[in-house]
Amino acid sequence: MHYANSYLERPVVGDPHVDSDVGRLEVLNCMLNTGSDIYQGACKKRGSTLKEEYKNASGTCYMDPRDMAKLGVKNWDHVLVKTDYGEVVVSAARSRDAPHEGTVFICKGPWANTITSHETYCCSDPTYKGIHATVEKTDREVLLMADLMRWVYKKYVDEEDDDVVENMESLGERPFYNGRKWEELENHEL
Amino acid sequence: MSYEPPVTDYDYIVENCTCAFCGCNCDDLDFLVKDNHVVAVRHACRLGASKVMEDLDQRLMVPMVRNEEGVLTETDWDTALDTAAEYIANSIRPVFYGWSETSTECMKEGLELGEYIGAVLDNQATICHGPSLQAMQNAGYPIQTLGEVKNRADVVVYSGSNAMNSHPRHLARWAVYPRGYFRQRGRFDRTVVTMDPKFSDTAKCSDMWIGFEQNGDYGFYNAIRAVIKGKKLQSESVSGIPAEDIYELVDVMKNAEFGVLFFGLGLTHTLGKQRNIDIAIKMVQDLNAMSKWGLTPMRGHFNVNGFNIFMAFETGWAFGVDFCRGWGRYMLGETNTIDLLVRKEPDCFMVVAADPGAHFPNGANQHLADIPVIQVDIHWGPSTELADVVLPGSFISVECAGTSYRMDGVPIYMKKAIDKPETCRDDEWIIRELKERVMKLREETNVAEKYVPNPIMDLKRLEKEE
Repeated sequence: MHYANSYLERPVVGDPHVDSDVGRLEVLNCMLNTGSDIYQGACKKRGSTLKEEYKNASGTCYMDPRDMAKLGVKNWDHVLVKTDYGEVVVSAARSRDAPHEGTVFICKGPWANTITSHETYCCSDPTYKGIHATVEKTDREVLLMADLMRWVYKKYVDEEDDDVVENMESLGERPFYNGRKWEELENHEL
Repeated sequence: MSYEPPVTDYDYIVENCTCAFCGCNCDDLDFLVKDNHVVAVRHACRLGASKVMEDLDQRLMVPMVRNEEGVLTETDWDTALDTAAEYIANSIRPVFYGWSETSTECMKEGLELGEYIGAVLDNQATICHGPSLQAMQNAGYPIQTLGEVKNRADVVVYSGSNAMNSHPRHLARWAVYPRGYFRQRGRFDRTVVTMDPKFSDTAKCSDMWIGFEQNGDYGFYNAIRAVIKGKKLQSESVSGIPAEDIYELVDVMKNAEFGVLFFGLGLTHTLGKQRNIDIAIKMVQDLNAMSKWGLTPMRGHFNVNGFNIFMAFETGWAFGVDFCRGWGRYMLGETNTIDLLVRKEPDCFMVVAADPGAHFPNGANQHLADIPVIQVDIHWGPSTELADVVLPGSFISVECAGTSYRMDGVPIYMKKAIDKPETCRDDEWIIRELKERVMKLREETNVAEKYVPNPIMDLKRLEKEE
């Protein structure tokens, strides 16, 4: 059957192309901005949150090409973003809205929300935008959504050690119904 | 992007369906249906189409309960509903969060349950336009409908909102491109201004981009207000914007025949919060002295405004209503989901058609890891990873009919297009069932004992009477 296709493996981004200052910085101090974009919105609302596609759409740090050059990262390299509220590993990519040197943008989602501020200052609304952050290059992997939720909240694992939980066997890109695949459930009698 | 051939392999078309994505509630969609599944959508934007054509891999099909090892196990509806009802009935500070992606009919059942059990009812406004609602209480709500914008507006301002990415048809259907009664030439008759620190996709197709610095919203609007009132700016630039640009912008705004300000989360999520909106509303009021201006918050979900209108009508408050004392109470920063979770108050959390797992900050979600979470939703999402009971609902406007409110407060009836999967239930049915089961489990309501303001004085008065 032919479906109209709205899947996209990863967002389309341009090439950074900056040669000056390459690899000058170990750690970039910057302002973190979060929000929605069309790739993240389409993937989230379709419901494909467990998949690689959501990881690429939402777990990506959009950076100014000059900032990328300073850190020596290329498109889809992994970076570690830290704030006062936590740290998370995401992919780096050239921003479609550049130039915005000194500001990085991560689409809303579990990755961004690991490091955003829960301070509401009595206004009901957490401070999702305008948080000081540092960005550095890393070898760690970007976790899939289910693995990230397990690593951050540890609701159903006994292990408390971050490193151990991070390297546990992946929960994968499909729902896990007590060992049974979703395909087997289609004619499920209840 | 590659070329995609049009979809020709379908059984029938359902016309004039409503989109269940953003606050634009586009009601002109055509669904192409094959084998009881929507295989393509006409007229919708990328977001609406992808939502309606949903990912069946992750569709929640059966009710599930966590077993002792922490693994979600399929079960039947009776067991799942009883488990959920038990969690709610045994809690002393339940929070029912969500409601924005379900019908107003379902909210009615939810409010009855909340009032009975003494819960906090809150919706996504608490993490998006909550400050806007507070600012409306502070400063007023000079709103107009989207139809007026289409037919009259000649200056359209997007502030802190990237409509091209989050409300893609807003420009095309209502605000910028359409030809209206007084705007016969469409886009050529309108001036579009985008105020955003980011050179966003909306900014790229605007006539003016005002890229003020991050957290600079409040100062910038103050400067505009000063210039509107005829003052001269003391400094060369305000919030990173040169004074000449502000004079030029004010000139455009003052000379508008009908201007509209659309504002988004760029204003509510930065440090000024509700004060940013206060000042924006006051700016619109000032502009109304010399022109005609209105404003509309860019609401994100198709029925997030519906919950606010429904709750304001039923209880007097738009969101974050706390019934734990037996009567309604509302206090920003106290009875709102994020504040409650950060203070670790709730002992039971029900998510109805929402995704706190994805959209709450870490600091708030940490508490969800310690308490039972009940999820009523259609897809396996980040919240499912934190949920103890999962109740699969149905998709409003595709599998189930319902009423929703557009961002400008116009109610729209969303019709049903296809049948829901046999093992799923309507959200309204699930919440009603939960309500009845909780009532059965708990005969008396969850209210504190009668409040006596000063017990000692009371005793003395009683003695005197005797």
